[in-house]
Amino acid sequence: MTLYVLRRAGLLVVSLFAASVLIFLVLRLLPGDVAQTIGGIKATPTQVAAVRHDLGLDRPLTAQYGSWIGGVVTGDFGRSVLDGTSVSGQLAEKFAVTGPLAVGAVLLALGFAVPLGVLAAVRRDSRLGGAVNALGQLGIALPTLWVGLLLVVVFAVQVRWLPAQGFPVDGWDEPGRALRSLVLPWLTLALSEGAVLLRFVRSAVLDVLHQDWLRTARAKGHTRTSALLRHGLRNAAVPVVSVLGLQIAALVAGAVVVEQVFVLPGVGQMLITDVGNRDLDKVQGEILLLTGAVLVIGFVVDLVHRLIDPKLRSAV
Amino acid sequence: MRRSTALRLAATAVLAGLAATACGTGSADDPANAGQTNQAAEPVDVDTGATVDVRLVLEPTSLDIATTAGAALDQILLDNIYQGLLTRDENNKVKPSLATSYDESSDGLTYTFRLAENATFHDGAKVTAADAVWSLKQVTAKGSKNPDAAALASVKSVSATDDHTVVVKLKHRDTGLTWGLTGRAGIVFKKGTDFSTLVGKENGTGPFKLSGWKRGSSITFVRNDAYWGEKAKVAKVVFQYIKDDNAANNAQQTGQTDIETAVDATLLQPFSDRRKYTVLRGDTTDKFTLALNNAAGPTKDLRVRRAIRQAIDKPGLIKTLGGAAVQVGGPVPATDPGYEGLTSIDAYDPENAKELLRQAGYGDGLKLTVKIPNIYPAEIGDYLASQLKQVGIELTVRQVEFQTWLDAVYTKHDYQLSLVDHAEARDLSNFANPDYYFGYDNANVQKWYAAAQTASGDSERDALLKKAARQVSEDAAADWLFVNQTLTVVRSGVTGVPRNFTSNRYDLANLAVAKK
Repeated sequence: MTLYVLRRAGLLVVSLFAASVLIFLVLRLLPGDVAQTIGGIKATPTQVAAVRHDLGLDRPLTAQYGSWIGGVVTGDFGRSVLDGTSVSGQLAEKFAVTGPLAVGAVLLALGFAVPLGVLAAVRRDSRLGGAVNALGQLGIALPTLWVGLLLVVVFAVQVRWLPAQGFPVDGWDEPGRALRSLVLPWLTLALSEGAVLLRFVRSAVLDVLHQDWLRTARAKGHTRTSALLRHGLRNAAVPVVSVLGLQIAALVAGAVVVEQVFVLPGVGQMLITDVGNRDLDKVQGEILLLTGAVLVIGFVVDLVHRLIDPKLRSAV
Repeated sequence: MRRSTALRLAATAVLAGLAATACGTGSADDPANAGQTNQAAEPVDVDTGATVDVRLVLEPTSLDIATTAGAALDQILLDNIYQGLLTRDENNKVKPSLATSYDESSDGLTYTFRLAENATFHDGAKVTAADAVWSLKQVTAKGSKNPDAAALASVKSVSATDDHTVVVKLKHRDTGLTWGLTGRAGIVFKKGTDFSTLVGKENGTGPFKLSGWKRGSSITFVRNDAYWGEKAKVAKVVFQYIKDDNAANNAQQTGQTDIETAVDATLLQPFSDRRKYTVLRGDTTDKFTLALNNAAGPTKDLRVRRAIRQAIDKPGLIKTLGGAAVQVGGPVPATDPGYEGLTSIDAYDPENAKELLRQAGYGDGLKLTVKIPNIYPAEIGDYLASQLKQVGIELTVRQVEFQTWLDAVYTKHDYQLSLVDHAEARDLSNFANPDYYFGYDNANVQKWYAAAQTASGDSERDALLKKAARQVSEDAAADWLFVNQTLTVVRSGVTGVPRNFTSNRYDLANLAVAKK
């Protein structure tokens, strides 16, 4: 197991390095630069060129990459050229919104997807199972954006239970208001993520239901429910955990849409703004940290797999 | 059978949802008439402890107003936090600010400004002529990074004759000098200010102080209780940056904001109750300019440019967008000097447009591409394509990111047609500059514009500007689709709300809230 962890960790470092090169180069393909943002449309070309020189944007790409990655290795992910804020500081500030948004949505999604998925599998021939399955289909089919808009119209504008948009100016210093402003975004994200999970849980449990070992367990005297709980769910969990890992990465993308709809000052919204301003020093640091997070999640998912499934452990 | 029941239920739910959405975003009865130009008088009982939440659209990229461009900085920082020697009134006329008065010598080469004697910076220090001289010299210095430096290009020297008198000497007459000083080029900073610190720490002279900036969501100002002039009437103003018009509408409807600026004219329906809301209609200098590359491609031919202008029905477009705009016909909007009605030049005439295209050798059709930054309503591109199709021009609409537009169109002049909102006031100079991306080069226009800058008085200046503007329009140097009008929704009880030019500056001096 230790050898496995070390090997996986080594792979993680190599992947991060490759990601940093890729991120740096791809961002340089974008037309325009931050000097033009600073100078605007009234500055003379000479002024813009002077800004470009001051910022070191006229240096060769290798030199620019070198000074960036040199900072990253020492834990300095860079600064915004425009307002001087640090990448790590800004990411931490925005994660105070996106983090709870994503975690809450995953928990909520799991909360209804697992029981409903199991139910849909076990009762697949009943009306109830069919209805749950149809609901799952619908959840996948509905665009996240539209669901969000609909929830706002009903719960914020019509019945006025929850705020229509935004996050309190004082953030989590006002926990009640902060929580209330996340309820509709949570629902929106959880609905689309949960619907996908529900389908996977259902098919994973269906697979398990037909296994010989489950029949054996029942032959040994287990009831259907206890056989499923003691042996079935653990086996069904393996593919579901894989999907969940991928889903969490996809949540970052989902969060971009939801943050736009609900005007939440989160990571997704920040990235869009920074790319628009061509604040590339900041963007590359942000994306590298996010990529790192996704890779680490993949790493953790692999480890969890091994813990759940002894078959994988012996295969090393 | 079971499945179909479930699907039917689902379908019903979706339809119900659609109906609910439709209710929420209906259009106004007659948007063309929505909005008024007057607002309620200031209440007798003003709540001086009030907080006002204002929806704005574009967040500043930085708060360093000395070196970073962007109307979003001017909008909130000028007048409220920083003040110049001069400022603008609500009709864009020059008026005193930190300089309480000024004289112009008879030869027009010397301006003498007298500073308010009791003015102070937010740190308590007195504002002196030395501060003003230092600040102006930062703008005029060689290698200045002030994006507005061109506004003071005519300045020869700046000096202080005593603690409160600033003398500006010019190389030549400049009818644009006082206007230039109302912008960021005229801001008085404390002598020796390190501009790189302005991002997080201001030391202005205005009636408000910066309290906080939550990047990506809001900027908060608080009243400067030690202000040297008449103090602000509200304690706090929170600018909430909400790009999406629907989200902004929801925020205003549910009381999350007190004032919603830049309201979409097609989304006014929720605010029709006059007891709860006032809708203000204001002027702007936002000229939605269809640039026609004068220097390259098929649009180099005057006949093609005129045909394009004559093929587009502007009143129809204005109606499509909800009616909050006016036709213009030339490069100068009604609120700028040098304006005259030019809408009869190349008025809508699709038949003549076809004839012009035939004469230019495009009788069999012409393919053109327009580049439009994706921040403007997509309807504009669709409308242009359908109008031009009727005269035989197949228009491809390419929506681009604003930075891409800056790089390709503005910097590299790589375009055939381009649409952008030229929001600056008094920017006729763009047509007097052959290197500008319009590629328009007319020696007479350049001569008249230069003469207008050095004219001996406003009437002489205005006559020259009119002549230049007319020529620009007759040469079809571009097409001007409309000048935007800006709508602001205000909840009842809030008064003193800026109405005109709200995306250029948002002066909070008169803002007041009635006690509940």
